[in-house]
Amino acid sequence: MKKRRPYISITILVLIGAGCLLAEALGGANPYYMHTDQISQAPSALHLFGTDTLGRDVFSIIWHGGRISLIIGLLATLISTGIAILYGCVSGLAGPRIDDALMRFSEILMSVPQILLVIFLQAIWGKPGVLSIGVVIGVTSWMAVAKMVRSEVRQIRGSEYVLAAKTMGAGFFYILWNHLMPNFMPAIMFMIVTNLGSAIAAEATLSFLGLGLSVDTVSWGSLMSLSQQAMLTGAWWLLLIPGSFLVVTLICITELGEALRTANRRERLL
Amino acid sequence: MSRDNVTYCLKKAGQLLFALFVLSLIVFFVSRLAPGEPLKAYYGESVEKMSFQQLENARERLGLNDSLLTQYIRWGAGALRGDFGISYIYKQPALQVVSQVYGNTALLAGTSFVLIFVLGLLLAVFCVRHEGKPVDRLICKIGVAANSIPEFFVALILILIFSVSLGILPQSGAHSLEGGGILEHLILPVSAIVVSHIWYCAYLMRSKLSEEVRREYILLCKVKGLSQRQIIWKHCMRNIFPAVVSIMAIFLPHLLGGAYIIEMVFSYPGLGKLGVESAQYHDYNMLMLVSLLTGGAVVLANMLAQVINEKLDPRFRHEEIREDRREQS
Repeated sequence: MKKRRPYISITILVLIGAGCLLAEALGGANPYYMHTDQISQAPSALHLFGTDTLGRDVFSIIWHGGRISLIIGLLATLISTGIAILYGCVSGLAGPRIDDALMRFSEILMSVPQILLVIFLQAIWGKPGVLSIGVVIGVTSWMAVAKMVRSEVRQIRGSEYVLAAKTMGAGFFYILWNHLMPNFMPAIMFMIVTNLGSAIAAEATLSFLGLGLSVDTVSWGSLMSLSQQAMLTGAWWLLLIPGSFLVVTLICITELGEALRTANRRERLL
Repeated sequence: MSRDNVTYCLKKAGQLLFALFVLSLIVFFVSRLAPGEPLKAYYGESVEKMSFQQLENARERLGLNDSLLTQYIRWGAGALRGDFGISYIYKQPALQVVSQVYGNTALLAGTSFVLIFVLGLLLAVFCVRHEGKPVDRLICKIGVAANSIPEFFVALILILIFSVSLGILPQSGAHSLEGGGILEHLILPVSAIVVSHIWYCAYLMRSKLSEEVRREYILLCKVKGLSQRQIIWKHCMRNIFPAVVSIMAIFLPHLLGGAYIIEMVFSYPGLGKLGVESAQYHDYNMLMLVSLLTGGAVVLANMLAQVINEKLDPRFRHEEIREDRREQS
């Protein structure tokens, strides 16, 4: 099968990413300025995407909010990937007893829906902020990747080069970094990308439910938390505009993940 | 043989209890490590007006002065007798509060589960029968897209179309004020769950089935003159059914998580709403009960799947159910 590259998705993602990076230039310096005389206005030439129930310009909030959504997503992915690699390697290299115990533990964690864990940890952390949400989502989404890292590590841990490194006195982290990581990274890359998508979605869900960022720190999700009341008054733009940004980003990320997965799939030997 | 079965059941039950025990340990200690005054959850804002002596008495009465281990043992002993403590928000036994609403969640999640199982299987078979054709690729694209949209957004769109614009379906609650109307209140939440989760199952089933139709026995079936439909439903299905059972078991936590979010969006009284509320207001007894119920359901489903598979195919006895998406498709 010919391998196609997801040029369209990458282009869209780059555009959205650049827009969020250049939020000041695109949307003005203060996205939180409340045009008190122009509350809940439909999209027009003055306010491209309309204004929200507090009179803030949605066009400028989208870019500033997207930055926060993306930062949380990246932070969460970074944390979950780090934990997953460490946990998976320890489990994969350890003896059968410890390996079994570690895997059972992760299975138990997986048996609770992620959203419940996130809400739980966030409640313990206290006031939600960008950092806390990123960390909480990160520490609740590493299990599937860790499982995969473990099975990859178990396949290569008997290799001669790992043995050679061990006999030469290499430590755990040395072997992890120089011998294991280069081997399993391609295999887990697509899961990391998929995780990025689900982290962004989790943040949006959390903020939408009112458990995440407060209304004054805007992300795509928290912008939509206003929409539920606004919808009843027919303010569709408050729902559809942040929603389409969110959905388009997520679909592009998924598409990228799918492409990575097919590109790095090993050829079947059988 | 029957003796063998008894030990087998005991072993399974033991595993279930152990998993629940570990889960309760984790939830208990993490929640107790949390900073903040548990008394505040109980008494609300009036805690600030209480004198030192009153606070001390309250702590003593709620047993908060004991060591964590003592507290856990006390909780565990109560739980074994069916006493899961008092909900701080409702000032009622947590079990009683849960027993009023768990039926709603079971109805919502159960209906979605069955629908996703049936529709997902049909979708998978349809895709495999048309594998590689434009219609299959279109379904795959749509499926991947639908799968990556957060469920709350799907729910909002459905509300926007069917409740706000068309006004034909209610947008919140589990039944109308007079009671009744359960079905109408179920349609939108269930559709939202099915739309956002069906591809997870259909995709896994599709890859399993498309692997299966490449086996050699298919050629024999063709030579025998069986139709495509007969081959898939009679021969392939029988072979992949254990995998399908495992897929549905793995899917359960995703479904429950989704159902909880959907409950929040539709203000549907159920476990999800209780869970979120209790986390927000630090109602730990309630939170533990909801987490344990959810975790218990998932662990139970996994074991049930394992048992079914072992009955269907004794070779399964030494295999594990695992989530492995890489080798497939």
